[in-house]
Amino acid sequence: MPARPGPSVPSEAVVSEHARGSGAPPGGTARGTPGGPAGAAASAPDVVRLKRGVVWYRSWRLYAGAAVALAVYVYGWQVTQIRLGELWRGAYLIAPFASALASPDVLVRDNPTVRVAAPFYYGGESPPAAAAAPGPVLRLSRSSGAIGDRITATGQGFPPDRSGMLWWENQIGQRQQLMAVRTDRGGRFGAAFTAPEVQGTHNLVSAEIVAGTGPLRLSPTFFVVLNRMVETVFLALMGTTMGVLFAVPCSFLGAKNLTGHIPGGPAVYALTRTVFNVTRSIEALVLAIIFTVWVGLGPFAGVLALGVHSIASLGKLYSEAIESIDTGPIEAIVATGASTLQVVRYGVVPQIVPQFIAFTIYRWDINVRFSTVIGFVGGGGIGFVLQQYINLLQWRQAATALWMIAIVVAAMDYASAVVRERVV
Amino acid sequence: MHSTILQIEHLTKVYPDGTRALDDVSFEVARGEFLVIIGLSGSGKSTLLRCINRLIEPTRGTIAFRGHNVVVAPRHELREIRREIGMVFQQFNLVRRASVLTNVLTGRLGYVPPSWALANYFPPSLVDRAFANLQRVGIPDKAYARADTLSGGQQQRVGIARALMQDPALILADEPVASLDPAMSHSVLRYLEELNRTDGITVICSLHFLSLARRYGTRILALKAGRIVFDGLPAEIDERRFKAIYGDDAVEVEIS
Ligand SMILES: Nc1ncnc2c1ncn2[C@@H]1O[C@H](COP(=O)(O)OP(=O)(O)OP(=O)(O)O)[C@@H](O)[C@H]1O
Ligand SMILES: [Mg+2]
Repeated sequence: MPARPGPSVPSEAVVSEHARGSGAPPGGTARGTPGGPAGAAASAPDVVRLKRGVVWYRSWRLYAGAAVALAVYVYGWQVTQIRLGELWRGAYLIAPFASALASPDVLVRDNPTVRVAAPFYYGGESPPAAAAAPGPVLRLSRSSGAIGDRITATGQGFPPDRSGMLWWENQIGQRQQLMAVRTDRGGRFGAAFTAPEVQGTHNLVSAEIVAGTGPLRLSPTFFVVLNRMVETVFLALMGTTMGVLFAVPCSFLGAKNLTGHIPGGPAVYALTRTVFNVTRSIEALVLAIIFTVWVGLGPFAGVLALGVHSIASLGKLYSEAIESIDTGPIEAIVATGASTLQVVRYGVVPQIVPQFIAFTIYRWDINVRFSTVIGFVGGGGIGFVLQQYINLLQWRQAATALWMIAIVVAAMDYASAVVRERVV
Repeated sequence: MHSTILQIEHLTKVYPDGTRALDDVSFEVARGEFLVIIGLSGSGKSTLLRCINRLIEPTRGTIAFRGHNVVVAPRHELREIRREIGMVFQQFNLVRRASVLTNVLTGRLGYVPPSWALANYFPPSLVDRAFANLQRVGIPDKAYARADTLSGGQQQRVGIARALMQDPALILADEPVASLDPAMSHSVLRYLEELNRTDGITVICSLHFLSLARRYGTRILALKAGRIVFDGLPAEIDERRFKAIYGDDAVEVEIS
């Protein structure tokens, strides 16, 4: 029972047109289906077509599709130079790293050592005779000679049953390990070595024997890494904050329901959204490289990169939150005689602020993760030291940095999930 | 009790797309009436109710609320008119994330200084009143619950409490029970009836079910395609008039 005759006529016309239109294709297909019983095909062409449809292994499309897929993956395999054998052949290169992961450079022991040194001169000169002193003594079979001489070192009076190291120290104090030694029950040891090739003539041979077990303390690496991690977290904080500060006002321009009504609004909307989308499509790492050129290496470039990227992605999310606002409550509050300020405070803010907070925490989360690698391109943060450690094959230090990243990122992840759950 | 609270003359609303939702509608509402508006879907009930507090801008005609012409009222005057007209919605239109108490308090916004909104401040006397109004609609224990945790019937009662905060002379209810089950519908309508009888608040309420309209209305106004096709007492709607309103094929269904 149409209330108004006007609209009902076109709607009926649409229905009948549709019926005619959809009637044609089944007839056409029914003709093309081989061997279908004519009666059944006429009464229910759709059913027949489905039941008598070409079985899958007879479809040429399947084989064509499979061939195309095969070609794509063969080419992909070649172009990405996949050589699974390398995984096996290169395993020994990465093995130290795997074991380093299990023993990151976090704790060190300050063990007390006993150190005694004896001189050995190159170039004919003889060292002055050492004054006899109480305590442990290190004696060399000779005290002067040339590079390549065989020297025997004997020690006595050291703590019994301890291990230690024999060092060669040159004239300016650079040292290298000669060999590991271990004292016997009487506190003696003996070792033979070859005089190494060094600069200068006045050398020292020193024995350092560990005399006991000292207390554990955090390693210098740990503090370096921790420092950089703090920098990383703050890098993410500043980048996110910059993103929020600019994204909030911009998001209002990018919301259709707000800009739709004002003159020129649709153009502003389109422009804002385009800027968001284009900026978002540039990876933050690329932005970081650009900013290091602009403002120089360091965390500031990272902040700018993260900030710009956050503006774009937060702006888009915020805009969508504004667009999904429920107008019902706003209308209800307008109807109570509330002013614009009151409508915004009680109708709009409660609807968008929790979403804004949730999106911001989500972004902050991404930014923390991202700021761990931004150092690779000189944007500051822990990535910088991580890269150095890896390049210098300092696996235990690299492991420390990796563990730090894993723990901090996981903790942030968890914390933000908890907060987000509370807010939304 | 026969003073006029609302006087509508030649009210016409044409939407931008050309839909003539109201076509030269004129009627008066006396203080204390429970006026039920019925009509098919699309007949213009919502449009009419929303024109009264100008949530929709009328195209032509005048609306006089207590002698003030709503249609030409400037902003501040419109706010003063609106705060005396409570509105209850089919979809309740509560701020879902806010507490029930806050939702009720928003009913008072037209009376408090706007700057208080910045601090989210409501004086204790208003909070007491909000509690009293929640008490009145039977859900004082839900004050601190989030609005969207309530059932539909409870939410609609929050909507009524919100309207009550306005000290309204008139309540507009746009299909207030269309989203509720029959038992809940009666419960909500009885609250409106009670406000109408004991507080003397005039009620204009659109309803889908004629049986409900007959049961609660003191007067019924029927719209069809934006025009008034019936205006009279509930008892006057007989078979012939029913068919005139709802069409020849319609059958009356009872909601118990
Ligand atoms: N914003 C709008 N723009 C254009 N046309 C509209 C708009 N709102 C409503 N209409 C049209 O105006 C007419 C009256 O609508 P209205 O919502 O007032 O009817 P109603 O009686 O409340 O219907 P219902 O019982 O379905 O709520 C309908 O034809 C509707 O399609
Ligand atoms: Mg309606």
